[in-house]
Amino acid sequence: MSADRLVKRFGELTAVDDVSFAIRPGETYGLLGPNGAGKTTIINMVAGLIPADSGSVDVAGIRMDPAGIAVKRHLGLVPQELAIYPDLTARENLNFFGRLQGLGRKELSSRVNAVLELLGLAERAGEQTKKYSGGMKRRLNIGIGLLHRPGLLILDEPTVGVDPQSRNSILEAVGDLSAGGTAVLYTTHYMEEAERLCDRIAILDQGQIQAEGTRDELITLTGGVDRISLVGAGRSAAAAEALRSLDGVHRVTDSGGTELILTVTDGAALLAGIVSTAVRSGMTLASVSVTRPDLESVFLHLTGKALRD
Amino acid sequence: MRALWTMVGNDFRQRLRDKSVLIFSLIVPLALMGVLSLAFGRLGTGSVDLQPATVVASVEDSGPLGAALLDSLGSIEAMKVTVREVPADAVSSETRTTGAALGIVIPAGFSSALATGQPSTLQLIEGSGSVLETSVLISIVTGIVDQFTAASVTEAAAKLGGVPPDAAAGIGRIAVVGEPILHITEGTVPAGQLSLRAGLVAGQTGLFLLFTVGFGVLGLLAEKEQGTLGRIRSTAVPQWTIVAAKAAVGFSLGVAASAVLLASGTLLFGVNFGSPSVVGLLVLGAAAAATSLTFIVAKVVRTAEQANVAQSIVAMVLGIAGGAFFPIQASGFMAVLMDLNPVGAFIRGLGISAGGGGIAEIAMPLITMWGFAVVCVLVSRFLPDRGARS
Repeated sequence: MSADRLVKRFGELTAVDDVSFAIRPGETYGLLGPNGAGKTTIINMVAGLIPADSGSVDVAGIRMDPAGIAVKRHLGLVPQELAIYPDLTARENLNFFGRLQGLGRKELSSRVNAVLELLGLAERAGEQTKKYSGGMKRRLNIGIGLLHRPGLLILDEPTVGVDPQSRNSILEAVGDLSAGGTAVLYTTHYMEEAERLCDRIAILDQGQIQAEGTRDELITLTGGVDRISLVGAGRSAAAAEALRSLDGVHRVTDSGGTELILTVTDGAALLAGIVSTAVRSGMTLASVSVTRPDLESVFLHLTGKALRD
Repeated sequence: MRALWTMVGNDFRQRLRDKSVLIFSLIVPLALMGVLSLAFGRLGTGSVDLQPATVVASVEDSGPLGAALLDSLGSIEAMKVTVREVPADAVSSETRTTGAALGIVIPAGFSSALATGQPSTLQLIEGSGSVLETSVLISIVTGIVDQFTAASVTEAAAKLGGVPPDAAAGIGRIAVVGEPILHITEGTVPAGQLSLRAGLVAGQTGLFLLFTVGFGVLGLLAEKEQGTLGRIRSTAVPQWTIVAAKAAVGFSLGVAASAVLLASGTLLFGVNFGSPSVVGLLVLGAAAAATSLTFIVAKVVRTAEQANVAQSIVAMVLGIAGGAFFPIQASGFMAVLMDLNPVGAFIRGLGISAGGGGIAEIAMPLITMWGFAVVCVLVSRFLPDRGARS
């Protein structure tokens, strides 16, 4: 699929601003950004739920249109909400959405059984889903999206509120699909998921793609800088000011007066000087940590704020 | 069409499973009908059973008319009347202390006074029992005395005209017992009037129809909130089928619930709405009008909760104004507005049907309901969708 210069406005707010990207078969593409960055709006345009104000989306060579039917046969959507019917069983939910996707009786039956096995829900397929645990509902939510073997699977924060065990099995299932040739568009604000799953990642903030590439390509954008976190009390503003003047310190971000986040070159070498400067400036430190560059660092480097702000 | 039927079937399965339709569309209105029917008591039956009554009487008249008057009271078919004769000075106290419905004192010379056209006073004392039975007895006594007076006047007129006395007396008797020249026949006119109890059944059916259809189109808002609407819209189905399926579900539920309520009302409360085919056409029209209204509600609210509140308000306003609980009278512009109310049109149509009216007679209520439906659908097409972004 490809998205070309997508723009979406809601009144005065530009939710998505000139966003372009493409996903190849078998590739998992991640949209990484905080809540409100525009991830779900992009998903909604790609899935044909809302029209773009400008720009276009093509899936399997067909132009996406909210009224389009042929193009939608190629995509499976896993929304962030648990988009399942609580009064229906897992099998009834799968049958319903499978029919809407145009699966014939025979194919539908075999695919429903296969998906129930894949998700580990076969034994409880006849139970109303309102009796399921959160993790089981999440798995079913994903299963409906991949029931008709779509060429493009769109997953919008599929692991929100999921226990670690279910999260792991969801990530494994997505990995298997991608390995099987399915193109996956995956949005998350969990850095670890993006790093683990995605072949390429777009860093999204305020409706714009700030950077795009593989994990390693993105990390090189930080210039190989380390991230140092100083947590404590006292005169954090004065400490931040003093730390900015040190050689090797590229950026100091004050997170609410209790934490200073620094991006520095060779953090291990500078750590002693940084700590003493902070203490001399009136900050009482409770903890200090140094982390090597990761996507969080990339986001911080690109936007000046933490991913979960 | 396969997608349409799939969605309709899916909705029906859920509605049957969560019991909400059963509760709000059948159980609640039936219970309400029963409560209201009990509250209005026997007035709602359309006919009244008169209770046995006692008349305390004193006859001091030696002529035939005093005795004839009491005999007449004892032979009323619609009410069992016991006449107990007591002395004249005991009539008043006996009437008040024994629970008699009426006391009568027939004075001496009553018969001869009537025969000669002289004034005479018949004393009636109202009892402390049922007002209804007392009123009926007073009416009957008044009627009998009027007949006696008519005979007396006729006989006197015959004598003045030179008719021999025997023949004049015969003419007087004919005036009393002869066949009347004018006959009044009670009939039923298909004018939209229902008995109180039938009105309750019709009104509650119309009112709860407005709630029942809410399970259709307004369900879109609930699906939007739980995410299933977005998922359906991402599948390979024509977008129009999504709304059409919901409308079909609301309409079908409305028709089914209304039919069951009217049939239950007929069986449980002994009312009759006339030809089933005529009633069926009215139900279809009412369901169409009610369903179309949900298109507007769905456009002007943002959430399922708001939709439920808005639909309830609309249902109560239209229901009460349409006469779901009691008939409402208005004049001028308000009367025109109330005539356009689909609940009112539905009740009027059932009244016409109950009175024996056919399809031609219910044309106006049908036009009102279908016209209402068309206008609502058109208006909803031009309203901005307030919930589109939420």
